[in-house]
Amino acid sequence: MKSINRTICISLRVIRQITNDPRSTALIIIAPLIVTSLIGFSFIGQKEILNKITPALLGVIVFFFSFLVAGVSFLRERIEGTLERLLLLPVKKVNVITGYLFGFLVLTTIQTLIVLTYIIFMFDQGYNNISQVFVILMLVTITSVSLGIFVSTFARNEFQIIQFIPLIILPQIFLSGIFIPVGEMPQVLQLISEILPLKHTVFSLSQIMLHGKNLNNILPQLFALLGFASVCLAAGMATIKNRS
Amino acid sequence: MGQNKKEFLALEVDSLRFSYKNHLVLNGINLSISKGKIFGILGANGAGKTTLMKLITGQLNSQEGTIKVLGKPVSESKHSIGYMPQKHSLYQELSVEDNLKFFNQMYLGLSPFKSHSNVEEVLAFVNLIKFKKEKVLRLSEGMKQRLSLAIALVNSPDFLILDEPTVGLDPEIRSSFWAHFKNLTKTKKSLFISSHTMDDASHCDKLAFLRNGKIIAFGSPKELREATGKNNSSLEDAFLYFVKNN
Repeated sequence: MKSINRTICISLRVIRQITNDPRSTALIIIAPLIVTSLIGFSFIGQKEILNKITPALLGVIVFFFSFLVAGVSFLRERIEGTLERLLLLPVKKVNVITGYLFGFLVLTTIQTLIVLTYIIFMFDQGYNNISQVFVILMLVTITSVSLGIFVSTFARNEFQIIQFIPLIILPQIFLSGIFIPVGEMPQVLQLISEILPLKHTVFSLSQIMLHGKNLNNILPQLFALLGFASVCLAAGMATIKNRS
Repeated sequence: MGQNKKEFLALEVDSLRFSYKNHLVLNGINLSISKGKIFGILGANGAGKTTLMKLITGQLNSQEGTIKVLGKPVSESKHSIGYMPQKHSLYQELSVEDNLKFFNQMYLGLSPFKSHSNVEEVLAFVNLIKFKKEKVLRLSEGMKQRLSLAIALVNSPDFLILDEPTVGLDPEIRSSFWAHFKNLTKTKKSLFISSHTMDDASHCDKLAFLRNGKIIAFGSPKELREATGKNNSSLEDAFLYFVKNN
């Protein structure tokens, strides 16, 4: 019970830290709404295009913002010495990482609810199996938060976390099928896209939201996302104490 | 040393050596500190004080030699230690009270909606009750220092390690800190304090002068002053005397 309490306390602390900081709150909630509005109003007369973009947009927003905010938050823990202080108490690494994950799962769920509600009501869109969307986004959050924690090991300041965006986020956006269908890309790029979590996220969300499929129909993608989440989680866990 | 005497020891360090890459930071440290005493370690910046503290708290693993805290190896005793690092190590976006409650909940494994009654008492001691709802990022450096000390105290540890606890404090608060440290020793709590000021050193029961990773002198402030062989010599004179003779 004590271990669970510690995990819950860390989750609540992560949520409170982010919500107490107006810039982080704006980054998580307002920035996605601005991006969504820009895209939504650009395609206001072309419902079909907007429909196709929404699943990809959701995946990218959750992946991008949870990677960035988790990476920066964890880097601050390392730089300011709070992580060192925390690990002197009877707190295990697993408490820290699961605390972060649960905290960000709450935040990304709220983020997704706001963005989806906004798209549905503002642009009069309709989607299937909304509840299953959250299962996919949960796996995406685990992957991106763990990746953020892992990457924070290699950064010395917040600016260096930003420098990882062109390396980790941008190639995934280009190769995920948002702009060009993956099948139309050169063979090499198709192979590379297979090892990128965002490609499987976009495909899974599109299948569920647009084509009425359910989780049983996208098991290979689901297992791939589970694999990415496990690998990133293990990498995040292994490096949690490094460079504190 | 006999078994009985060992039971009264808060800290035993034996032949401790530590290097960062090829740089030898601590070179054969031996220390025995009794329970219920204030021990001060003095040395210039880079002398090895913080490395020694990190080894005692288990943040670094010793490469050679042994360390026992309250009779147990570091791996078993680190949760009985209250540690105040040189950096404030606080959550800037949280309030003073939330920081203190969080570290208290983490230590005790309490539900997030409960915290130990000690929280208010410790806040009163560091004179931060009025600021308990204030976010840490709005506090002055001195206030952050006091909150950092409060976090080290909130779990009532038996052994306290304080890395330069009085740096940046005004004389009035510094004096109240020392009065409180002395009160803690009455309840058999032991304190290990690093400093580079002679004013802090004079408050300690025992002192060690650390230079280039070696202890060059050990004793009470009085013993160290007397070792210079001069009347009315200060601790600064004593420090310079040992530096010259080592």
